[in-house]
Amino acid sequence: RQHLVATGQSGEVKRATVHEVRERLAWLKRKREDEKDAEVVDLGERLAVRQE
Amino acid sequence: MAAHQADAKRMLDDRGYTGTLIRGQNPALLFEKAVRDRITESYYWKEQCFGLNAATLCDRAVELTFIGGTYGVAQKPTPFLCLAFKMLQLTPDKEVVEAYLNWGSEVFDRKAEDDAEGDGLEQLDGGEVDHARRQKTIRAEFKYLRALAAFYIRLTWEPVDIFKTLEPLLEDRSRLRQRKRDGVDLTFMDEFIDRLLTRDRVCATTLWKLPDRGMLQDLDMLEEYVSPLGEELEELDRDEEG
Amino acid sequence: RQWDDDDIAAGLDALDVDDTDDVDPAAEYLEWKVRELRRAKRAREKVEAAEREREEVERRRNLSEAERE
Repeated sequence: RQHLVATGQSGEVKRATVHEVRERLAWLKRKREDEKDAEVVDLGERLAVRQE
Repeated sequence: MAAHQADAKRMLDDRGYTGTLIRGQNPALLFEKAVRDRITESYYWKEQCFGLNAATLCDRAVELTFIGGTYGVAQKPTPFLCLAFKMLQLTPDKEVVEAYLNWGSEVFDRKAEDDAEGDGLEQLDGGEVDHARRQKTIRAEFKYLRALAAFYIRLTWEPVDIFKTLEPLLEDRSRLRQRKRDGVDLTFMDEFIDRLLTRDRVCATTLWKLPDRGMLQDLDMLEEYVSPLGEELEELDRDEEG
Repeated sequence: RQWDDDDIAAGLDALDVDDTDDVDPAAEYLEWKVRELRRAKRAREKVEAAEREREEVERRRNLSEAERE
């Protein structure tokens, strides 16, 4: 705990509002979709490379 | 209470506990001592649950890949159980818990329309297609987050609210992995919800006794449960009687 | 991400169990229907059992009243 205080973290956690929770979930969903898209792109690129 | 201590020690020390009470007691005590000890000693708890609030808890919850209590010879707690314990520590507002439970259902409304054709349901008859399509409006975006919220609701809410909030999810047939003592098997959201409403013990936790549904109905606190199968069920009943 | 050395040692991967939805929506719907019917049956049996119990209590009460007279 003293270490945490020393590094500037008080150990207190701010309570989140429902608005913040919804925002977070929307962000997580976008992130997951982006990752999925990135995988598809990655796979497409690898296939293209193989064809060359 | 605007903030809580990131550390669980204060929460677990009854004398110092000043947070929200659930049914007159420190919510952490809804888990048995042995389970609490295993959670707070676990690597997942120390490394992944420290300092979370109701928003950042979602980061972990959407990564869950199974539900369950404890497992293995060492009776290790699942991340699911650790996050449930974290929720007991945070005691999020009702609307936050509802957001966990149902977030994303509205997204599926549109998706259901887009997918209405060519969704492989042509082989069913009319009513069954409706049920199957309805599924898309019922599911949550993050199913393990929904399961977590449902478990928390069963532990902390009032009986009437528990029935009203959880029963509609008996229609959600999403597949869920479930960690058992020695292995993993498959269950379904509706089955998990049903267990929460009817069993004494779920996920290494003894559930406090829920009043009988029929009694709450007799007291006019609750409407009769109507199965989504509705008329179909009544027809079956008539067939049996006749 | 699995946080589980025991599982890795046992060669167990939780992800081997497939939790993908809508692989076969028709079959998944029918499976759900069986579960929902089973729940409905259980609920009905519970109501019937309570009903029987009430009748039995009633019967005994009448019996003892008759005996008293």
